Amino acid sequence: MGKADTVMIVGAGPAGLEAARTVAELGKRAMLIETKDQLGGTPYASYASLTPDLQETEHAMEHMLDAVRNNPAVDVRLNTRVVKSEGNLGAFHVTLESADGAQSVEEVGAIVVATGFQHFDPGRETQMYGYYEYDDVITLVDAEKMFKEGKIVRPSTGLPPERVAFIQCVGSRDRQIGNKYCSKVCCGIASKQSIEIKRMLPNAKVFIFYIDMRMYGFWEDQIYWKAQEEYKVNYIRGIVTEIIRKGDKLLIKGEDTTMGRPMEVLMDLVILSVGMEPSKGTVEMSRIFQIPREDHGFLQVVGGPLDTVSTPVPGIFVAGAAAGPKDIEDSVSMGAAAAAKAVGILNRLTLEV
Amino acid sequence: MEPIDIPVAGTKVQTSRVFERDPETVRDEDLREAIWELGREGEWIVQPVPEPYYLAPTKFGRQKKIPLEHTWHHKSCGQCGHIPGYSTSIFWLNRLLGFDYFDPRDQTSCTAWNYYASATSNQAAQAAVAMRNFSAAYETGYYPLIHCGTSFGHYKEVRHELVHDAKLRRQVRAIIEKLGRPFVMPEEIVHYSEWMYAVRKQLSERVQFDLSKITATVHPACHYYKLQSGDAIYDPEIYGGQRTAAVTAVVQELGAQVADYSTWYDCCGFGFRHILVQRDFTRSFATLRKIEVMKQEANPDVVLTHDTGCVTSLDKSQFAAQAHGRNVGVPVMSESQFAALAVGAHPFRVCQLHWHAVDYRPLLHKMGIDVERAWAEFEADVEKIKHGEMEYLTWEHVL
Ligand SMILES: Cc1cc2nc3c(=O)[nH]c(=O)nc-3n(C[C@H](O)[C@H](O)[C@H](O)COP(=O)(O)OP(=O)(O)OC[C@H]3O[C@@H](n4cnc5c(N)ncnc54)[C@H](O)[C@@H]3O)c2cc1C
Ligand code: SF4
Repeated sequence: MGKADTVMIVGAGPAGLEAARTVAELGKRAMLIETKDQLGGTPYASYASLTPDLQETEHAMEHMLDAVRNNPAVDVRLNTRVVKSEGNLGAFHVTLESADGAQSVEEVGAIVVATGFQHFDPGRETQMYGYYEYDDVITLVDAEKMFKEGKIVRPSTGLPPERVAFIQCVGSRDRQIGNKYCSKVCCGIASKQSIEIKRMLPNAKVFIFYIDMRMYGFWEDQIYWKAQEEYKVNYIRGIVTEIIRKGDKLLIKGEDTTMGRPMEVLMDLVILSVGMEPSKGTVEMSRIFQIPREDHGFLQVVGGPLDTVSTPVPGIFVAGAAAGPKDIEDSVSMGAAAAAKAVGILNRLTLEV
Repeated sequence: MEPIDIPVAGTKVQTSRVFERDPETVRDEDLREAIWELGREGEWIVQPVPEPYYLAPTKFGRQKKIPLEHTWHHKSCGQCGHIPGYSTSIFWLNRLLGFDYFDPRDQTSCTAWNYYASATSNQAAQAAVAMRNFSAAYETGYYPLIHCGTSFGHYKEVRHELVHDAKLRRQVRAIIEKLGRPFVMPEEIVHYSEWMYAVRKQLSERVQFDLSKITATVHPACHYYKLQSGDAIYDPEIYGGQRTAAVTAVVQELGAQVADYSTWYDCCGFGFRHILVQRDFTRSFATLRKIEVMKQEANPDVVLTHDTGCVTSLDKSQFAAQAHGRNVGVPVMSESQFAALAVGAHPFRVCQLHWHAVDYRPLLHKMGIDVERAWAEFEADVEKIKHGEMEYLTWEHVL
């Protein structure tokens, strides 16, 4: 078997892990490159539990990690980044650099880019939410960190909040900011977190301020109705525009579009539902592998809805949130699809030779 | 909802989180490179920011060039009509610093006010007015410095359209050519308050009074930082970089206190359409939502802002609320007037505070300025003019 029998997978989140596992299952070799010192990507590093069934992330993802860790056909390279790529389909010469600066050139036949997303930084453009002004304004990710410790408190006091507000679409669906897309998961995540908060603090009042709730597929039933009916979470249509401090509370200002009037309400804790943007790694890979980015900044695929993983560069595929907002289900499905296509194209090459 | 009677804690950031500015990750585009590119392609002449310039940090960490000298002053219709001391103060500060500037007498209005009230013609005409003014500046060899927040916001919108729309560019170019003028886009669109920001240290070295007992509240102009917001000035040192640093940075540098209040982000009430069709709304918004809130929460000695519409509505709306015995009565002026006072400008000959509606005298007393003497001097000037001993005040009288 030549080097053309190896598929390089960049990024070891849900999409990359599944791609590596599939490549191995299809009888080829996978080389899995990850910049961090840990497998599992954003969910493993940042979230306490996952939608829809609130399973603990580490537990839920462990078998995915094991599948590549203990797999002789998967060569895992942690603390490693791609710095250069030459050649093309069948013979890509990719330069890798490890954390200590050592470089090596690897020859691989095809590539799957699964470098994922980064969370929208709520301070960058929506300063009016005061994320960098007030301790008690946090993001979904900060909340997950607290859930990992089994609590939810106001960072300013360390005490449990009595009133909690989620603000949806922070950094998403906002043409002004330039993110003209829905991040797909944050409605579900906020609803999931509201259930977790009510489980921990049954007397707390929890509000979700939204433009419209986008709870697609089973999440509608599994999370949204459950939050409202079983946990009495308040969904209020109307987006918050500004958060300021009043005494020791946060005053949120906005418009209640059902009642058709402006509103000002006091909260103890505000959670910003930040969405997804292409990660720095994704942007970097677009440059290194010469993959064009589509209008929203993510990696471009050529098949529209009929081929979700092929990029315009022959032999290079993309999977997961590097190609746009995705939940884990979609990311994993794309990982497998990208792997199958990569292996398929290598098989055809071998036949032609 | 009734206002809550708790003082706002102040302008300090209350978290240890640090915001990392990274121009690389910003989704909005930096138009300046595109402007130079269009210049290289012969689409227009790019007027470079003259040296020496100051590099000011913007919202996302890009650096904006602010010219110090050789500025062409695009004034404001409202400024000259309602608050003449506003622009005079800017010129006076230029003179104090020994800067060369140009005070044009043939500029047109920007027409943005009517545009925001849906009362003007069409896109090409709007853009042509902007480009006509830029060409007028270019022809003098001076760099446009926009006094009015509205013109500033509007010109940035026009710039955005012109960069992206080749058809519009052709239409506007044809109009400008008919006028026999060059088709010019300045490298940066700069507001006068950015110039104030750039010279704040030079001014602070010349402060003549102890301002530490003066509390100011700042009203930032919506059209300055909410339209095409990417190149408004945001300084990591001011509000942790979370709010625009325009005005606030200058006032703090001069040694005065800036207090926060809960309707900081709100409009002054002017609202463009409102001032035209619902003036009562403007009056009540300006007083009840802005001035009263400031008084209740921060009790300032003065309200400082950087746009003509804002100074006018906040100052001149107060008479109505005062007539109803409400908790108003705070002097309002531009930070250029306040800075000029601080470095020794005459309150009437230069800052022309007698055009303002709210009593500014308690503020001047508190700053340590001898108002009575200044007024007597001003009245003496008027007498001289009356008796033909002097035609009008000249710069020689005031520097
Ligand atoms: C707040 C929030 C909560 C969420 N919670 C859920 C949930 O409960 N359930 C759910 O289904 N989905 C959830 N999602 C979505 C979920 O996080 C994504 O679907 C998933 O992480 C996408 O997987 P990925 O492998 O494509 O990318 P990622 O998980 O982002 O993984 C990308 C990996 O690539 C690595 N990488 C980046 N650049 C490079 C490089 N240059 N070289 C090598 N490696 C690189 C990164 O270190 C990372 O390990 C949530 C999203 C958000 C925003
Ligand atoms: S999923 Fe919900 S919160 Fe997230 S961007 Fe879409 S609508 Fe907004």
